[in-house]
Amino acid sequence: MGRDSIPPSEFLSTSNPIIGSNNGTSCFHCGLPATGAAACTGDVAGEQHLFCCSGCLNVCRVIHEAGLDAFYDRLKKREATMAPPPDSPNDIDQYDLPEVQQEFVQNLADGSRQAHLMVEGIHCAACVWLIEKALGGMPGIIKAEVNLVHHRLLLQWQPEQLALSKIMQRLAALGYAAIPFNLDNAEGKLREQNRRLLFRMGFAGFGAMNIMWISIALYAGSFSGISIEDRDFFQWVSCTIATPVLFYSGGPILISALRGLRRAMLGMDLPIAIGAVATYTYSLWQTIQGGQHVYFDTVVSFLFIILVGRYLEALARRNASSATMRLLELQPRMATRITERGEERVAVRKLVAGDRLRVRPGDKVPADGVLIEGESHIDESMLTGESRPVHKHLGSRMACGTVNGEGSLIMRVEQTGSGTVLARIIHLVESAQGSRARVQRLADRIVPWFVGITLLLSAITFLYWVQSDFDIALLAATAVLIITCPCALGLATPMAIAVSTGVAARYGVLVRNGEALEGLSDITHVVLDKTGTLTEGRMRLSDIQTPGDRNRLLQLAGAVERHYSHPLAAAICAALEAEDLAFPASRNAQLLAGLGVGAMVETADGDCEVWIGNRRLMHNRGIAVDAAMQEVCSRIEAEMGVAVLIAADGKLLGLMRIEDGLRTGAVELIAELSRQGMGITLLTGDSAAAARHLQQLISTQALVPIRVIADVLPEDKVRAVEALQKQGERVLMAGDGINDAPALAQADISIAMGNGTDVSMECSDIVLMGSDVRKIPWAIALGQRTLSTIRQNLMLSLAYNVILVPAAMAAWVTPVFAALAMPLSSLLVIGNAILIRRHMQHRRSD
Amino acid sequence: MSVIYGLIPGMILLGLVSVLVFFWAVKNGQYDDMEGPAHRILDDDDMDDRKDKDDRPS
Repeated sequence: MGRDSIPPSEFLSTSNPIIGSNNGTSCFHCGLPATGAAACTGDVAGEQHLFCCSGCLNVCRVIHEAGLDAFYDRLKKREATMAPPPDSPNDIDQYDLPEVQQEFVQNLADGSRQAHLMVEGIHCAACVWLIEKALGGMPGIIKAEVNLVHHRLLLQWQPEQLALSKIMQRLAALGYAAIPFNLDNAEGKLREQNRRLLFRMGFAGFGAMNIMWISIALYAGSFSGISIEDRDFFQWVSCTIATPVLFYSGGPILISALRGLRRAMLGMDLPIAIGAVATYTYSLWQTIQGGQHVYFDTVVSFLFIILVGRYLEALARRNASSATMRLLELQPRMATRITERGEERVAVRKLVAGDRLRVRPGDKVPADGVLIEGESHIDESMLTGESRPVHKHLGSRMACGTVNGEGSLIMRVEQTGSGTVLARIIHLVESAQGSRARVQRLADRIVPWFVGITLLLSAITFLYWVQSDFDIALLAATAVLIITCPCALGLATPMAIAVSTGVAARYGVLVRNGEALEGLSDITHVVLDKTGTLTEGRMRLSDIQTPGDRNRLLQLAGAVERHYSHPLAAAICAALEAEDLAFPASRNAQLLAGLGVGAMVETADGDCEVWIGNRRLMHNRGIAVDAAMQEVCSRIEAEMGVAVLIAADGKLLGLMRIEDGLRTGAVELIAELSRQGMGITLLTGDSAAAARHLQQLISTQALVPIRVIADVLPEDKVRAVEALQKQGERVLMAGDGINDAPALAQADISIAMGNGTDVSMECSDIVLMGSDVRKIPWAIALGQRTLSTIRQNLMLSLAYNVILVPAAMAAWVTPVFAALAMPLSSLLVIGNAILIRRHMQHRRSD
Repeated sequence: MSVIYGLIPGMILLGLVSVLVFFWAVKNGQYDDMEGPAHRILDDDDMDDRKDKDDRPS
């Protein structure tokens, strides 16, 4: 584990360290506990405040200097807390370059510019206030408007007075990271579509509301008598309202039905279109003829209801697509190209295969390619989920979007733009979003038959009755058409899926497709990957072995490590805080890359030179490590832990064991799954010793027998899943790394952790945002509930048709009643679907 | 009943006006953020507590 990837900026230069005494106090800015190594106090507005980290302190100072202290009052009023500021994006000045700006900035007629930014860190209305006030005060800003729901900032500014990078720096200083948001991309287009749908729905709603008044008059008139002129007048008014609603609001439905007919396919929209057009034509004919019954209100109200359903569905789908946005943000925009004339900054889209690029420390790799000069560690966690940086040397492959560590590199470009691994992942996510549930496909398969049968029945009805009376025949045939309008059937599945995906998304469970919800319901066996799923994917101090004083060892270690932000250092500092021990003062901290760290620590018995690191460091420093200790080190490393040795004044003090601990909720997850009757298998790439260790840990705590398979390679994971499937199990797989991807794809249903890799998220049906694994049983319950609701809905609409169609064919049902019954059946189905939300929210609060 | 002949076209006209207002609202992004503005109006109410700081350059 290399210690050489620590950015020097992580050194804490601000204020005095807090020495153990103020536990229970919280950070003035974000409200998190302000204890431990990173905590500091700062002087703001003449008062001493406590902060959890220097980031929070800086943000607080900026807010104060801008005269916006009222922000904290607002925050308090809402009983809200901030999150610590996100890492601000480096390379902000690239956004001033014209070729970068042309992707997302609009030039307005008056010379000002306008852009949408995605702002990370927006948290509540107080943030909105802060951003708008702070930016509004900058000269050159014309407009700054924050959208709280979508975390977007609309900016309009004068480019001569103010550079965009200055605005973004200001945001970063306030603790918000901003990324340009391109309206032309997939999400922008989706927004435009939703807006058009909202227009159509709103217009149909207007029609439905107004036409009802006319209908009341007409219904009342048909019972208590009405003069012919008045009736004609009301009918013509209805017609005036219904015509634009049918052709504007219902336009897309009519067009899609026509398109289906032209291709000789009986589509979902066809019966709706036939129902609407037939009812409309009949009513129009009645109106012209001076007949008694018009059903313009039917046309308008069912179009309205259908559009409401489609709008709700569109909203749910839009929630899912914001995940794609996050992936797109990974794409770098600028690269440094090396030419004969020297180095130049170019936009990534101008790169071609064969270009030589300079990648500086901390830069994102701008394209896929091969390393041709230099050596470094590269953080590939966004692609692989592997949190340790990967060592890259001559000839190593580098992937677009990964982050360079400490070394300056030169690479040769092989793939750019849409050819890169990252771009392919983004493409996969986008295409996955258009999928439909199997039940939905079943419904889609039934619909043509349903439509055909409806038309047939309607024709039979007409032919049967026309022998006795034409008017009865037309009424009965229309009633059949209206009453069998398969809205309920069509809405049964999408409504349930839309409601479920919505509930799930709110709870941080991202469902990729409707099929996944359905598949969740018949899962019998759960396969869990260890690293990152059951464990935190984060280092934790689990054991200390020393012949001497344990607390003294920990304090000496903490005194040195608090200067660093490396995962191992964080683990040691966290342990110190957990045990409520003070951090002694230390100076002359130094880092030996790949070996360890050291510093002079001030103790009660005078200064003491402390070294912390691996066996090579001890060897390097001439400190003896005896055979017993050597053996312990080897054993810890065999169990996938990290053995960290510590020495003071040239003498070995002892050893700390640091490993990736179990997640909170992991035990509850196992207990809950076994309560639901699931079989559980645990897969791990670790050695058998490490697996046994884990099995013991979980089995004793959860009181459930679990099968653990150790030493698995990615292919073995697939085989383990396959073997279970051969035994007739329906397998759910949860994992997070690129090595889980094949197994995730093989499993019937797969769940990826949101903090895992994009590849594993890609192969999975469901993504858990956040890291609470207890959501897995909840998701299974949601799937079961969704499927049973879909079945209920299908039964409801079928029962409805079976009862009412014969009645309509027998001419017992007037079209008026049919028109009333039809929306009622749809509403019943929608209402039943919405029950999922109440049910699952209730379950969540349990 | 003759009053109806004037009132109903009036009703439709009013309805149309409301539709136009609705279209305008959608186009202006009034429905894009359903939460933020509800809080923003509260924020503007208590401008007073910052009055002394407002005249600073920021």
